[in-house]
Amino acid sequence: MFWRFNPEVYRLVGIKCKDCGHISYPRGMICHECGSQNIEEYTLPKRGTIHTFCVNWAPPPQFEPPITPVIVDLEGGGRYLGLMTETATPEDVKVGSKVEMVLRRLTRDRGLNIYGYKFRLTEEQ
Amino acid sequence: MRGKVAVIGVGMIKYGELFDKSLEDMVQEAYSNCLKDVRKGIDPKEIKAAWFGQWSGGFIGQGLQSGNSLASLIGNLDIPVTRLENACATGGDTFRHACLGVASGAYDVALALGAEKMRDKPSAESLGGAGGGGGAEVGIHPAWAIGQGGPAIQAFHATRQMYELGYTMEDYARVAVKNHHNGTLCPYAHYQFEVTVERVLGSYIVCWPLHLLDCCPQTDGAAAAIVCRADLAKRYTDKPVYVLGSNTGIDHCQLWDRKSFVEQQSTIRAARGAFEMAGIKPADVDFAELHDCFTNTELLNIEDVGFCGKGKAAKMLQDGEFDMHSRLPINPSGGLKAHGHPIAATGLGQIFELVMQLREEAEKRQVKLKNGIGLQHNVGGPAFGVSAVNILSRSM
Amino acid sequence: MSGIIGYGVYIPRYRLEQQEAAIPWGSWSPGEKSVCGADEDVVTMAAEAMDNAIRHSGVNPEEIGAIYIGTASSPYIEQYVAPILAETLGLHPGTTMMDYSGSLNSMANAILGCLDAIAAKRIRCGIVIGAENRPTAPGTEGDASLGAGAVAMVIGKEGAIAEIEAVHTYSTLFLDRWHSAKDAWVSNFFDYRFDREYGYQSHIVEACKGLLDELGRAAGEYDYAVFPQLDDRIPGLPAKALGIHSERLAPAISSILGDLGSCSAFISLAGILDRAKPGQRILLASYGSGASNAMSLITRGQISKKRRNLTPLKRYIDRKQYLTYTSYLRIREQLARAPY
Repeated sequence: MFWRFNPEVYRLVGIKCKDCGHISYPRGMICHECGSQNIEEYTLPKRGTIHTFCVNWAPPPQFEPPITPVIVDLEGGGRYLGLMTETATPEDVKVGSKVEMVLRRLTRDRGLNIYGYKFRLTEEQ
Repeated sequence: MRGKVAVIGVGMIKYGELFDKSLEDMVQEAYSNCLKDVRKGIDPKEIKAAWFGQWSGGFIGQGLQSGNSLASLIGNLDIPVTRLENACATGGDTFRHACLGVASGAYDVALALGAEKMRDKPSAESLGGAGGGGGAEVGIHPAWAIGQGGPAIQAFHATRQMYELGYTMEDYARVAVKNHHNGTLCPYAHYQFEVTVERVLGSYIVCWPLHLLDCCPQTDGAAAAIVCRADLAKRYTDKPVYVLGSNTGIDHCQLWDRKSFVEQQSTIRAARGAFEMAGIKPADVDFAELHDCFTNTELLNIEDVGFCGKGKAAKMLQDGEFDMHSRLPINPSGGLKAHGHPIAATGLGQIFELVMQLREEAEKRQVKLKNGIGLQHNVGGPAFGVSAVNILSRSM
Repeated sequence: MSGIIGYGVYIPRYRLEQQEAAIPWGSWSPGEKSVCGADEDVVTMAAEAMDNAIRHSGVNPEEIGAIYIGTASSPYIEQYVAPILAETLGLHPGTTMMDYSGSLNSMANAILGCLDAIAAKRIRCGIVIGAENRPTAPGTEGDASLGAGAVAMVIGKEGAIAEIEAVHTYSTLFLDRWHSAKDAWVSNFFDYRFDREYGYQSHIVEACKGLLDELGRAAGEYDYAVFPQLDDRIPGLPAKALGIHSERLAPAISSILGDLGSCSAFISLAGILDRAKPGQRILLASYGSGASNAMSLITRGQISKKRRNLTPLKRYIDRKQYLTYTSYLRIREQLARAPY
């Protein structure tokens, strides 16, 4: 997890295009959607609803199956991709479920913990 | 492009789990078969440029890097050779480059060859590797680290197709039934057995909502095509097949930048450009080889290429409108599902099928030709943002 | 006078019945405890407690001059975790960032450090976060009883919901529990009776007596008394010695969450602040590695006003999902697949 991505990794800093409104993450100089350089910094909100999901029983070796990746429509615009955490069973997750981002240890690299965000179902649905 | 390029020879090997064949063996065999397919004969030295599609480059077992690895294997060191990779669209895109080489006027004859060795590693590893581009690594930041590979990305689409379009797992299973049936009639196909909807839905869940039998296999294979200037084609064969349109379409490489999960903009863009180049419409196409890496993907592809409206493909499939002897056969070769998906070879294997069909040499799986036009399609890559579409015809 | 401007807690949702870890090894332990999920640790728990505390306090993160972590179970022997939490808040590099570790008195010491920094006028406001996820080994007493949790307190001069009137420390060389850098679990030196009387009780009582003398106050003047809960009954010992009625003690949580280490007293404190009225006095003492910090607090009017933004301890206690012993061992990486 290279140091130059700290603001992205820990604070979810991206950019918003002033021309087309697209929210790009991670930060960059150029809007991913329209190519404009008329952009401003934008911090992704941490709450949203599930747009789509799947339940992966054959994930990469560092994961214990199943893992539940989700695409989340974030409050106020933008989307993010992440894993669910704390789902008792994959059946708890539905399109439209309300979720929030929580800090979790994603993996380790030679004894150093790599932290990032996962999604958790909010108490109220 | 239209009117400038013709396919004068195609070759492939039978796809499968070819443990006793190396990547080099497969390359040479496909090339050799391709040369032999040029009916009036061709001196290999007439090939003046080559493009080599090879996806893995070695990170899932055997791979080859750089153009000279192909040059060496075919014993033709006097020509420019470039290796290229564009995810699952590598095959179709390699063909496009060979066509561009000829259409530009730079070369009279060019070779496109694609080959992939997937089974030198245990299948779980090559499945993971063929996932998010080396998805096992932590990568630059957490979003890449969850290994969102082929099955997981298409599962995102499958979930959304069920939610937005009302598709069901049975709809997806029917794609497997059709393609497995077609595969039993194709001597080159990886799998040559029938399946039923029950058998698909009873197979274990790889990535909900996709079952094992919803997924194409990991296949070893190689395929090649030789193209030349259209006005010289008859020198080499009495049955040239002409290239009407050839395009590659792109979309975002990050899943969260994409707008919709019930369509793939990369396919839409590739197809639109190819049809424009060809000056034809989807309704003019007689049959198509579409990239059904997963069963639900075939439904996406049918709609995205423009053969029917969004949300209509499942019912049409159920009514038999894409079967082998219908008005618009889809994947008469068995598709990726049954024929196999040796990543860089796939697009060229589909070109092989198109050519066989357009020459009316497809034997038991011959489709009826009206306009004599066939379409080939691939889609894949990070966030499935790369697509290739090639449109071929038996007449200029 | 400095005080607690806001606070927050975090308890993981997973629970293990203590029996599950005791019976296979021929022993007995009633109650249940909280357990970190496979992707949680001291840092992730601290992050949520911290967010809760900041929301409750109403403080703008830019005003925070220092961030302190107190724990006896940091994932690292060398490498602070305070900067990780600071990065999630976007605190600027001029902020003091440090970990207090190596003792069950760590969180109390972190609070002391924060108070000292405010008194020295080096900062106006700081945040102290305690989190505990101590390693255990099958067959040890700790495997059944050590729980996981976190608590954060924003401390400063304005808008306090509870003022901290004074802190008095009492420390000696006393070896009861330890975790060596060479071991993967926490160990006990002697026996429970010796530890609790000469360690826990003695140091807490001396620290509290020193505090009361300093303030010229009697133990009976306090509405609540909070001591760390190694188990449900142990707080009764110093209470009795100080003449504090057991009714005034914080409710038992170690039989539902386990022994929360350096967070224990402060999580109990949070539970009390969740329902305390203004003008109530709280006597709190921590204990760890032969040291006790005694604190005297008095609640203020802000405590009722700020309750709207509070996520109470009870919410986390009630949210639970039970694990089997094998899931627990897998999560703690003490039961793993063969590598090939």
